[in-house]
Amino acid sequence: MMPAADLPSDFWAGWILIVTAVSVAGLAWLIYSVYFGAAAQEPEGDETVWDGNLREGSHPAPMWWFWTMFASLAFSVLYLILYPGLGSYAGALRWSQGGELEDRMAAYEAEFDSIRGLIAVAPLEALRADASLMASAERVFGRECAVCHGEDGAGQAQLFPNLVDAAWQWGGAPADIERSIRDGRQAVMVGWQAVLGEAGVARLTALTAAMHGTGQPIDSTHAGHAEYMQYCVACHGPDGSGNPLLGAPSLVDAATLYGADLAAIEHTIAVGRGGEMPAFDGRLDDMHVRLLVAWLTRSDHAP
Amino acid sequence: MDGLGLHRRLEANAGLLTFGILVVSAIGGLVQVLPSVFQDSLVAPAPATRPYPALQLIGRDVYIREGCSACHSQQVRPLLAEVRRYGPYSRAGESAYDRPFLWGSKRTGPDLHRIGGRYTDVWHRAHLLDPRSVVPNSIMPGYPWLERRAADADGDIARRMRALRFLGHPYTDAEIDAAPAALAGATELDALIAYLQGLGASAGAPPR
Amino acid sequence: MRYHDPVVRVLVFCSVIWALVGMAAGVYLAAELVWPTLDFGWPALSYGRLRALHTNAVIFGFGVSALMGTAFYSVQRTCHVPLALPRLAWFCAVAWQLGVAAGGASLLAGWTGGKEYAELEWPFDIAIAIVWVSFGVVFFLTIARRAVRPIYVSNWFYGALIIVIAMLHIVNSLAVPVTLSKSYSLFAGAQDAIVQWWYGHNAVGFLLTGGFLGMLYYFLPKQADRPIWSYRLSILAFWAFTYSYIWAGPHHLHYSAIPEWVQSLGMVMSLVLLAPSWATMVNGVMTVAGAWQKLKTDPALKFIVLSLAFYGLATFEGPMMSIRSVNVVSHFTDWTIGHVHSGALGWNAMITFGTFYFLVPRLVGAPLRSVRLANIHFWLALAGTMLYVLAMWGAGVSQGLLWLALDDIGELSFSFKDIMASMAPYYALRLVAGLLFFAGAVLMAANLWWTVRGRRTVAVAPPSVADAASAMRGDA
Repeated sequence: MMPAADLPSDFWAGWILIVTAVSVAGLAWLIYSVYFGAAAQEPEGDETVWDGNLREGSHPAPMWWFWTMFASLAFSVLYLILYPGLGSYAGALRWSQGGELEDRMAAYEAEFDSIRGLIAVAPLEALRADASLMASAERVFGRECAVCHGEDGAGQAQLFPNLVDAAWQWGGAPADIERSIRDGRQAVMVGWQAVLGEAGVARLTALTAAMHGTGQPIDSTHAGHAEYMQYCVACHGPDGSGNPLLGAPSLVDAATLYGADLAAIEHTIAVGRGGEMPAFDGRLDDMHVRLLVAWLTRSDHAP
Repeated sequence: MDGLGLHRRLEANAGLLTFGILVVSAIGGLVQVLPSVFQDSLVAPAPATRPYPALQLIGRDVYIREGCSACHSQQVRPLLAEVRRYGPYSRAGESAYDRPFLWGSKRTGPDLHRIGGRYTDVWHRAHLLDPRSVVPNSIMPGYPWLERRAADADGDIARRMRALRFLGHPYTDAEIDAAPAALAGATELDALIAYLQGLGASAGAPPR
Repeated sequence: MRYHDPVVRVLVFCSVIWALVGMAAGVYLAAELVWPTLDFGWPALSYGRLRALHTNAVIFGFGVSALMGTAFYSVQRTCHVPLALPRLAWFCAVAWQLGVAAGGASLLAGWTGGKEYAELEWPFDIAIAIVWVSFGVVFFLTIARRAVRPIYVSNWFYGALIIVIAMLHIVNSLAVPVTLSKSYSLFAGAQDAIVQWWYGHNAVGFLLTGGFLGMLYYFLPKQADRPIWSYRLSILAFWAFTYSYIWAGPHHLHYSAIPEWVQSLGMVMSLVLLAPSWATMVNGVMTVAGAWQKLKTDPALKFIVLSLAFYGLATFEGPMMSIRSVNVVSHFTDWTIGHVHSGALGWNAMITFGTFYFLVPRLVGAPLRSVRLANIHFWLALAGTMLYVLAMWGAGVSQGLLWLALDDIGELSFSFKDIMASMAPYYALRLVAGLLFFAGAVLMAANLWWTVRGRRTVAVAPPSVADAASAMRGDA
């Protein structure tokens, strides 16, 4: 908040006040004098002909214009008495734009703090059952989350995860979802090209593609199984079902983020992926987070 | 002397008329602009405001070149709804190193003054290359050529920083010397994303 | 001794060309907001760059060429002397066109200082300053040599245009160059904002308003064949306008990080500005009153009178939008775009069209090729402007209100992108509006071209001293 009095010196404060007052007075004098001065009493209409039919019209300036002008000047003077305008003078109302926001905030808190506080700690089932709150939750999602996860939450661009299927990379329990929202997540799938070589990448690509959507444990007869057990098992588990604590997705369910075609899988294994969810704590308040968790765990979200 | 008489004298003398117009039209600027230009507190950096690092500076110049401020403001007003939508309202000191200022006058797209950290670099990349890949209704144009131009394509980052230092931005010799290396390997797209991710860093307190 | 009218003819010609270029760019931009991939991934067609070409081509190409041409035309006739320094006048006319053309190309190439309506980079800023000072030398020297003692009201406004734009342009363009295509503003942050809107608003004030009022005060009474209704009101209008307009810029920065006292002064002076603005509208309307029958047959007068109506609308709307509480809703929205275009299309373009329909036949001493075509142009321009303004009002007011709306638990009711997506019908209407207006301008260009083609500029002599003396006696 820049206080109105924050000027380099008293000199400039006085300069603003005096130049404004004197010049406005000068304008008022000019107008008054053109209407009522000595010369104004003489008949108007010089004989000058500038260009053929171009001459001065002789009508006096209308009185309504005089009053309009003076009404607007009077309003200006009044406004500049009430509000900051004349240099360091803060105005009789002590108005400031920062102060106005504080007042609005106080009124907002008085009106909404109790209901928002209740929502922030309400049982999730109660929130899910309230259609109007779910509509608010959907708006929060639409405003804060949809540009990445899509309007319907189903993910998009093969970069941002689907939030309405059964797969939760970082865990689908309400507490896991809340932590993802508040603190963000950083996945670390490193690239294995240098370690595995092209042939190794190809074997693991084939293995991953073959297992995708089967729901079966990793095929121990597959040519890539040995490498899987050496390099992948630590995160994705011996059966390929993943580990939500590490954000390692299941490789055997039907869900996919970066794509399940060979090229996408090969890229993932060779180059790696670093999926990042920014932390929203601070940007969103407790009520927002609670509403989002309730909305994301609605029964009609999971298949 | 009355007003009409004064006008009649000016009207009959080209020099006087010119002088009269000059004086009358200058008053407003002398009251509003002149004291503001001498008001150092208007451009005193906010506590967390720093001169733009080389990559962000290039990004900012790309933002200017592509006319982003035709559609995006960088000025969160102290209005309830606006603070709730975007974050803390904009303070003068946050723009202390902004030449020119980029507050904008139109929001065809949203305000960007608090965009930093809100989305990931990956999102910005997808969005800047093809906005409709992540915002289906978007009417923003894509900027595919930014990915094809090196951040130091003009090779003048040191000159830019020295020009800004001449204007009072506290860059050190070491920062200027290291600038070309800081741009090495980066594209204009990387630079623009770095600039966007830095917006809002100077906001101080988190949003209420 | 003859008036130097060939230079006027060239300026009018160039102005029409720039009108077509600038309006075509505007229509293309409107289309890009409906179909955002219309830039085909080509930087020069990208919205952010093309928008600067649009504003520069219409303001500095179309607008300034028209103002320079009509100033040169009218200052000779109201002073009864040919232009002083005709070669310098030719330099102004030609150098300006080259500057706008090269400047426009540089904007598409991405050279920009980034300040609205002052985008051109420093080499162009220097060139503009040189041409502008030359314009002033020609204009004021012509006035200094005048054969009529009082200086006519149109020349006060043209004079203010020249003086104030020079002052604004030089201060706002101060910058430290880095390379030929890049500079950094001398001012930073909030100070830069105050300087820029002092410039930006008064480029509107003294160029798009004041300059065109000069055009109005000469061409309206000429075409209506009646004296300006109240010369005394025009005196009041001129000085009150020149004094108060220059303060109004900070209303572009309400609720921004500039000090509140600057905002408040900007607001009250914007309100004071209403009366001086309307003084000229009333003066213009009353001048035509009594010659209404001419409106039926005279497309030039029709355009000029309609422009007065839009002038009145825009100069009422502007002060209203400068009020803090209204500005909360209107700022950053398409309402501003509608306001600007009710002025730019309804006032600036219309009065220029009317003036050209008056001026061009006189320059070549032949009637307008087709009055019927000019009448069609009139209706296209009116329909286009109305549709444009209505579409942007609808878009702007809904944006402004929806951005602020909260639901019953204090959440924002709408996401930004949903509000943006709901603008699609308004933006489609705006494209149609722009096409109508542009189509009218094409008809005018063709009509004027057929009128002047193959004809030489008529040589007109100033009135002799004897004529002037008889005129002074009132028996001319």
